Amino acid sequence: MVDQIPNLGRESEMLGELGMSTMDELFANIPEAVRRTDPLPLPEPQSEEQILEDATRLLGANVHLDSRPSFISAGLARNFVPTMVPMLATRGEFLTSYTPYQPEVSQGMLQAMWEFQTMVSELVGLPISNVSMYDASTSAAEAITCAVRVKSKKAAQPSSVYISELVPPHRLSVIENYTQGVGIEIHKLPHNADGTLDLGAAASATGSCAVYVEQPNALGLLDEGLMDLRGAIGESTAIIVGVDAVSLGVIEPPGSWGADIVVGEGQPFGIGPTAGGPIYGLFACSKEFLRMMPGRIVGQSIDSEGSTAYTLTLSTREQHIRRHRATSNICSNETLIALMGAMHMALLGPEGLEKLATRVYSSTCKTLEAVTSIPGVELVNQGGCFFREFAIRLPGQANEALESMYSDGVIGGVGLGNWWGEMSDCILVGCDEGTTESDISALANAIGNWIEGGSE
Amino acid sequence: MSTVFDFRGAPGTGWSQPDPISSEDNPIPEGLRRKILPNWPRASEPELVRHYTGLSQKTFGIDTGFYPLGSCTMKHNPRVNERIVQMPGIDRIHPLQEESQVQGLLSIYFEMQEMLATCSGMDAVTLQPVAGAQGEFTAIRCIQEYHKSNGESHRDKVIVPDSAHGTNPASASMCGYQIVEIPSASDGRLDIGALEAAVGPDTAAMMITNPSTLGLFETDIAEASRIVHEAGGQMYYDGANFNAIIGKTDPGMMGFDAVHYNLHKTFSQPHGGGGPGSGPIGVKDHLSRFLPTPVASRRESVEDDPNGVGDGYWYFWEEVGETSIGKVQQWNGNAGAVVRAWAFYRRYGRELERMSEFAVLNSNYLRNRIMNPDADVAAKIHCMPSEGAKADLVMHEFTLSISPIKEMNGVTGKDVAKRLLDYGYMSPTLYFPQIVPECLMIEPTETESKEVLDKFAADFHAILSEDPEIVTSAPHTTPVKRVDEVWAARKLILRHPITDSED
Repeated sequence: MVDQIPNLGRESEMLGELGMSTMDELFANIPEAVRRTDPLPLPEPQSEEQILEDATRLLGANVHLDSRPSFISAGLARNFVPTMVPMLATRGEFLTSYTPYQPEVSQGMLQAMWEFQTMVSELVGLPISNVSMYDASTSAAEAITCAVRVKSKKAAQPSSVYISELVPPHRLSVIENYTQGVGIEIHKLPHNADGTLDLGAAASATGSCAVYVEQPNALGLLDEGLMDLRGAIGESTAIIVGVDAVSLGVIEPPGSWGADIVVGEGQPFGIGPTAGGPIYGLFACSKEFLRMMPGRIVGQSIDSEGSTAYTLTLSTREQHIRRHRATSNICSNETLIALMGAMHMALLGPEGLEKLATRVYSSTCKTLEAVTSIPGVELVNQGGCFFREFAIRLPGQANEALESMYSDGVIGGVGLGNWWGEMSDCILVGCDEGTTESDISALANAIGNWIEGGSE
Repeated sequence: MSTVFDFRGAPGTGWSQPDPISSEDNPIPEGLRRKILPNWPRASEPELVRHYTGLSQKTFGIDTGFYPLGSCTMKHNPRVNERIVQMPGIDRIHPLQEESQVQGLLSIYFEMQEMLATCSGMDAVTLQPVAGAQGEFTAIRCIQEYHKSNGESHRDKVIVPDSAHGTNPASASMCGYQIVEIPSASDGRLDIGALEAAVGPDTAAMMITNPSTLGLFETDIAEASRIVHEAGGQMYYDGANFNAIIGKTDPGMMGFDAVHYNLHKTFSQPHGGGGPGSGPIGVKDHLSRFLPTPVASRRESVEDDPNGVGDGYWYFWEEVGETSIGKVQQWNGNAGAVVRAWAFYRRYGRELERMSEFAVLNSNYLRNRIMNPDADVAAKIHCMPSEGAKADLVMHEFTLSISPIKEMNGVTGKDVAKRLLDYGYMSPTLYFPQIVPECLMIEPTETESKEVLDKFAADFHAILSEDPEIVTSAPHTTPVKRVDEVWAARKLILRHPITDSED
């Protein structure tokens, strides 16, 4: 027996008012040739109690990250989300509202998003932010198409974009899907042996529409040389930087060293890793890109009596107005998760952010020190400075090492062979604010055990 | 008006965290080090709880009242779903964990893929797209690769009816297609003659929703599929209106090759003020090798398998292979939304068609109530709206045109929409589809009671009977009066200036 339908059992009365006696009559306009006659081959309806029981059993069969020392990240954070955040964000008014097309009854969500835009703007050092993209990868992809729309007319390489060769393959694939149809050519920017961007080679991007780099890069390396990228490529090319949002509590925001668009994963602020979604992409830019940018934007306004009010603005860029000439097809975004991010940011405050970033950095340094002191383990980017992650090379196959580490009770990281075949002996180790001394010992012991156990 | 930036407590006092695990780290090189911290508020939990509670009270959700926003399927969001996604087995899971660590999640993914394929008459489903528009984009990318693989890259046009959602042409355009918009017939339905004239050797696909945005079932849909297929094109079903037809018909029967589902509409993932959504797609066999990778799969368990979920199967991520378009979201989609939708679907199971029945019943009932007021009520109404499309029956939604009223006393669709806010309702979708002048598009969903629908119709009639001056100056009782959208677009104040800072 289903529930959730208030009129269940009262259909005769309502049908009667329409001069009908059966539900089937409501569907009379569906021609017989396309009418389904047999019932759906699905299981019996369940009550809330039964659903909860099944959910508890099935999700309980998953091994969650807090159940053992875990060093898996790849841009997602095993973060601590303040209790206030989910409790307030799931207040029904926020949870069950739609996109605020009627600003008069949506002032709360609109103001919260305007405050979110402000905090993101402050974080990355650029004046404009939208209210979120789907994730870091779609943010990067749409930043590239946005930059091409703005720059291609005057660019010497009007269809070219240059991307760091260390952008991980899943992100590159998203970028390729979003750029192939509009004729954008992707070129790769090489890195030096120590993992830093090859600034000399980056000069080839001069006259192109945009370059896309990440800080830290996919292997966790902070690259001070990126701050000279503007000098290397000249004034006319857009610089797009993908960031670890938390790292900006301790490292210079790209807006202060020449970035035009900053993108990144917002997830560390607001929500757990959630098996990869819903998370949210940050998208911030300078004024030059405002009218070509994707996504919803909230602006301050006034009402008919002159009082301060908020509303969605610059909608003429969007699909529901501009249709096939829109700057993006994005409609649903990740507003509720961005709201959770805003709450988390507001609770941290400037000093709390700095402390959070320092905790992650400290965990990274400490883990790196412990792991690289194990004989046989080699740091991939020697001499570098790392935030959240670093890559190590092992004396054997990473997948076998990870399996062995898991049998020792440790989730050891991401095997990099899945990304780049030549790195099949490498692991990306991810750290976070919750990493403890005992986690680090467990990781080091697990790696040591595997090596001693005859990895070679 | 106060904002979160008014909280200016003493530095570092707002919310405490443990100290870093070590104080002797290698310092961050001076050149990289941030010089000025972001000017975020300095607030404590008690202050922020009150701030955000206040903001929530100035936000209208389904929980607040009737939300007849057409095409958005604003149905009730069962609360157990929110409880489930707080479980660590979903909230604290990383998408790159080994399959042995996520058997439960994989089994839910697999079950959802199968269920969506069953309800839509498709052969394969991916849950990776995270919004309806991304589903459209993903499916059109698959169709694009399909044509390429057949040596038919010259097909560069996508056909959409003029009543289509704006995301359809926008998504196709992002894939590089040119858009051919065909006009609707005089009854608002698909014009088969116009379609025949539009198809050709350059047709890549047609994108259409059924029922249409007018709430009408496209009775010629099978014929449309035949015409497009004969020209070598593919048929794409926009699943925004899927709530109207589950168990009654399906896109496969209608001849579609690909479809997207809005889990945030049909399957009750909460809209959250604009997202998150989830926009899985289903395709027929010939398109399945182009789907994003990976998809959830299973085989019968063998002796050496670690523990699964106890149903005799081992679940795994199956790579789609070299022909796959790759990734559209970097992980495996909005898993949290998939789990909520799973909990919702389990509630209905084989009775999912009850959902569509009551959605369509409520829509027809409300339309009849609005268009046929009792005589004493009718006597007070200045002027009735006209129907957006002439039809004996509608599906899950319907359209009204306020044009006759505008002509008589200057009251526009927007005025009526704003006046409805005063009565405690969310406005219907306004001015869409664009082919209906002064359009209000109304979708009640199955989770509203007869009493709510009766009251809404009565209040709607009351508005039509009011002094037009009251209506054109509405809203009167909302937290702010009518908001000046032109002012916002002219001034472009897109962030707080934070000029009162002490820093």
